[in-house]
Amino acid sequence: MTIDILAGKQNRDGGWPYVRGASWTEPTVYSVLAMLAAGETERAGRGLKWILRTGRPDGGFAPHPGVEESTWVTALVALVPPERLGAAGHERAIRWLLATTGKESTAIYRLREWLLGNVRPAEDEFAGWPWFPDTAAWVGPTSLAILAMEKENRRRPSEEIARRVGQGRGFLMNRMCREGGWNHGSVRALGYESQPYPETTGMALAALGGVDAPEVRRSVDVARRFLAECRSADALNWLRLGLLAHGGITAGWCRPKAVECRTLPEMSLDMLVGEAQKGRNLLWS
Amino acid sequence: MNRKISRRQWLAGSIAAAGAAGLASCKRERPPAPSRVSIVRAPAYDQRLYEAVRRLLEEHQVDVRGRHVVLKPNLVEFEPGSSINTNPLLVHAALEAFRSRGAASIQIAEGPGHRRNTLDLAEAAGYFGIVPRFEELFQDLNLDEVTRVRPSRPFSRLDKLYLPNTALRAGLLVSMPKMKTHHWVGATLSMKNLFGVVPGGVYGWPKNVLHWAGITESIADLHAAFPRQFAIVDGIVGMEGNGPIQGVPKSAGVLVAGADPVAVDATCCRIMRINPYGIGYLKLATGGVEEQISERNIRQLGEKIAAVATPFDLIPEFQALRLDNS
Repeated sequence: MTIDILAGKQNRDGGWPYVRGASWTEPTVYSVLAMLAAGETERAGRGLKWILRTGRPDGGFAPHPGVEESTWVTALVALVPPERLGAAGHERAIRWLLATTGKESTAIYRLREWLLGNVRPAEDEFAGWPWFPDTAAWVGPTSLAILAMEKENRRRPSEEIARRVGQGRGFLMNRMCREGGWNHGSVRALGYESQPYPETTGMALAALGGVDAPEVRRSVDVARRFLAECRSADALNWLRLGLLAHGGITAGWCRPKAVECRTLPEMSLDMLVGEAQKGRNLLWS
Repeated sequence: MNRKISRRQWLAGSIAAAGAAGLASCKRERPPAPSRVSIVRAPAYDQRLYEAVRRLLEEHQVDVRGRHVVLKPNLVEFEPGSSINTNPLLVHAALEAFRSRGAASIQIAEGPGHRRNTLDLAEAAGYFGIVPRFEELFQDLNLDEVTRVRPSRPFSRLDKLYLPNTALRAGLLVSMPKMKTHHWVGATLSMKNLFGVVPGGVYGWPKNVLHWAGITESIADLHAAFPRQFAIVDGIVGMEGNGPIQGVPKSAGVLVAGADPVAVDATCCRIMRINPYGIGYLKLATGGVEEQISERNIRQLGEKIAAVATPFDLIPEFQALRLDNS
């Protein structure tokens, strides 16, 4: 059973590693959600305490206890239900996300570029989220932040959050590859078209749930093609989540037996996607 | 003839020149004797590689007895059969060669810059099929334990960097890049390959913090952060044009190796017919003292550069780096 394997990998400090070794925030969040789905509340509780210890004074969360900066993992922490994480910690994570953008969208950077006479690239029109402070926005962290903010907006509707989600979705639409789908967030490199990746295509589609546009439908087709060809557990998890947000997974699709979950986030996300397929989506409901 | 200088060239040149001038006194201490660099003909990815790598290590008298060796290939994209990733046969040949020289332990480690699913990427690149017990030997540097390092004299704007313990604790870090052109820095070789040690688990995919801090300068900082290195460059089939991903395969038929990555990279540039003095990170690493990477100051072993020189196509922005034009 996946849940037994996950339980056996919990560190003494309450967190989970990526594969083995010290605890990190990303695997701990996914494992906590999987434990909550399985009713393992004691283990989930110890994981939640570990997560709260990675909180930073600025309201965000660090990816690892030894890191002194709040990063993209704050969006993952904000996916944890506030009644489990604690309302104060959850609210701080949402505030941190609201205050964070890619460096290219900050007022100071835009003023500097304007003074230098540089034209703002079309893909920088909307503000996404970065992986790490003071760097540019990318598809992965933007998708995760949208999922967290949307979840919060459904729980407690807010114009401020809805506006920020709209910005993030505009960013994703601008970073879509020409053929549909997404890579890490670079549409062109020196004039050459870049190709989409399966995992980021799934992430962006999940974040664009409810958005109906021809480009999104084109990306759904790309995701269905990836789903048939892909042999990566991480990518298959996100493709399934992305397709679930847009009408469902291809009828008759079965996960290829040869695909292995090689990390704990892959394993716990696989379990959460399975729950979502049964109509119990702990990630964004 | 009037030659237009693009903004990219101007910026690259200015940054490198300013950095080199200002930091000449901060240069990394260089070995007093000329660095030794080997060039070995290797026409194909076949069993002959095992003997070729063994001879290379013998030639350099690499002493790894009782030491922990980390082999750092370049894994970038899921495109089997392309020339993007370091070939797994070469990495396995290196593993066998270091093992036969008495290494206490050997790991293969990499942290790709764009793709999060590193083991899947390694599988697609053929590593599971070629290297027995690959998964046990492999460490994903994106997800490794990290230590905060503060460069004493940083070239870039980074005052600190989180780096993976697997690489920091290596008795010998073996950079095993592909010989490729690079659309931002001209060429990507053993020094640029160290971008792969920067942990995505902290900085994300891509490791954009290095771009904002200055790519050229960050390469020089990473080089300085790892004093115990050896380089083996996979130039059997490299990449020319719009590298490091969208270029086209280029057969150079060589392995280039040595204990001084700066000298190894300068030699690779000459084989590719690229002017090494035009590569910003080489300027920084030598403190702007061109003489340090002159052919006179690098003791070439094996093949002569002229005998294996293979011009790699460069994108228009880097035509000025063409060695034959200089």
